[in-house]
Amino acid sequence: MQYRSQAVAKPYFIAAIGLFVGQILFGLVMGLQYVWGDFLFPEIPFNVARMVHTNLLIVWLLFGFMGAAYYLVPEESERELHSPGLAILLFWVFLIAGALTILGYLLVPYAGLAKLTGNDLLPTMGREFLEQPTITKIGIVIVALGFLYNIGLTILGGRKTVVNLVLLTGLTGLALLFLFAFYNPDNLVKDKFYWWWVVHLWVEGVWELILGSILAFVLIKVTGVDREVIEKWLYVIIAMTLITGIIGTGHHYYWIGTPEYWQWWGSIFSAMEPIPFFMMTVFAFNMVNRRRREHPNKAAVLWALGTAVMAFLGAGVWGFLHTLAPVNYYTHGTQITAAHGHMAFYGAYVMIVLTMISYAMPILRGQEASDERSQVLEMWSFWLMTVSMVFITLFLTGAGILQVWLQRYSTDPIPFMAAQEKIAIFYWLREIAGVVFLIGLVLYVVSFFVKGGRPAMASAADTA
Amino acid sequence: MDAADKRLAIAAESLFLVNLLLAPGLAFAALLLLYLKHRGDAGPLAANHLSQTVGVSLVGGGLLVVISVLIVLLGGFDSGYTWMVVILYFTFIHSTLILTGVLGLVKALAGQPWRYPLVGRYFGS
Repeated sequence: MQYRSQAVAKPYFIAAIGLFVGQILFGLVMGLQYVWGDFLFPEIPFNVARMVHTNLLIVWLLFGFMGAAYYLVPEESERELHSPGLAILLFWVFLIAGALTILGYLLVPYAGLAKLTGNDLLPTMGREFLEQPTITKIGIVIVALGFLYNIGLTILGGRKTVVNLVLLTGLTGLALLFLFAFYNPDNLVKDKFYWWWVVHLWVEGVWELILGSILAFVLIKVTGVDREVIEKWLYVIIAMTLITGIIGTGHHYYWIGTPEYWQWWGSIFSAMEPIPFFMMTVFAFNMVNRRRREHPNKAAVLWALGTAVMAFLGAGVWGFLHTLAPVNYYTHGTQITAAHGHMAFYGAYVMIVLTMISYAMPILRGQEASDERSQVLEMWSFWLMTVSMVFITLFLTGAGILQVWLQRYSTDPIPFMAAQEKIAIFYWLREIAGVVFLIGLVLYVVSFFVKGGRPAMASAADTA
Repeated sequence: MDAADKRLAIAAESLFLVNLLLAPGLAFAALLLLYLKHRGDAGPLAANHLSQTVGVSLVGGGLLVVISVLIVLLGGFDSGYTWMVVILYFTFIHSTLILTGVLGLVKALAGQPWRYPLVGRYFGS
């Protein structure tokens, strides 16, 4: 570790992994509820399990991004973090607020939670992914502001690189766009219109900048390729991300009551959204192929390459599959969307956080790379999680295509629940793949505690 | 390494990808023209990439078009199951071809030869 203050990243990474385990457990509960409707009812109804599953995902990814920033920024800026104490304080604030919110979801009926937390003073609750009580949302804003202050002053007072400036731009965008979570108009069209400014412009906008900068950082470290080469790629990738992603928001405006021209704008620009992901794949493989050093952390290299491939498949290919307006007319809100959501989130954001953890965690623990046995286990976990996610996606896609056919396209459409019954086999198969995913995740956690094999080199060697 | 040879190899792999992603048919025609024009005078690197990309484009075209049409004909146009199989099949083959094409482009950019997995052995290397 080059700077002592980078150590603040460690609790963020540990919390991220812990919450990731929670997210998958609730995913499995919900997966079972698809085929066994009253499983754990009334203790954990489907809507609560879903809310916990998606909210935990968002929270643990934010922990991962913040941990990644706290590790990456001092090294890129060539100086200690502005305030390590503030970073630790914000960690506890965010963790406690997050835990209380999840407990609130689980222990108090949602309407009661809204009343308890004073939602009527500034109503923001009741919208998908933004279910958090208003007070939690205010907490998120405070944590984000403190975090940006800390990271921003570190960057402004040190060396400015493309990597840390792109990261800062992405993180600032993340914080600013979250403010639209507080805008909750009565008009449903306006509500949905601006709701997407948080949801879409996060995952198909500013989060991609965060993804690109973390990937670039790890590739600089593990390949030893000149920073200038990697930075040029990063410029082009983020430019394409913003050019396609911002107006690409239009693919959410097809059927919500907005003007029809969005069907053209949304189709054209979102059809180009796979381009930055395609470039990221070429970029990652090109850099690894041109590497100047054999980094002992093989697992981190595997995660980095896996991120590029899976992000391209999940966000790029599966996104394109249902993004054109004439296709989306039949497919929106079906299991095809769920298939895309699962693989895109895993490929783009879960994997990039795990890439960073895989690279940084051994260094935070005093080694350049984990012991060989630990890495072998980690690579097993990579393959188990990744292959099972491919199958989850394929099963959901199969379910989605049949759902569209039965419920929307055929000459004699059947009702939603009747269609669900006919595609239940796919939900069982998805659940089995989910169990394999959990096994992979358990192996991933275990890999942190396994020692043995070739001794890893000291962290001083990490000078790329 | 001859710079012109490398440029030709990169062009071949790029056209292979453009054929899959942007301009199916049109890009293949351009690739075929490039292949026919340089069949006799290409250096070893360009010859490798040209023959691999032309060969795999033909196989890929067959897999994507012919097999997909066969699935629809055999399964029946009016069946949700047919569409499920054909869409999953097409997406799987198409994505695989793109990802192997990316590896081919990366190799060409580095001035290295490339043999496509499984079917590449049947074409000049």
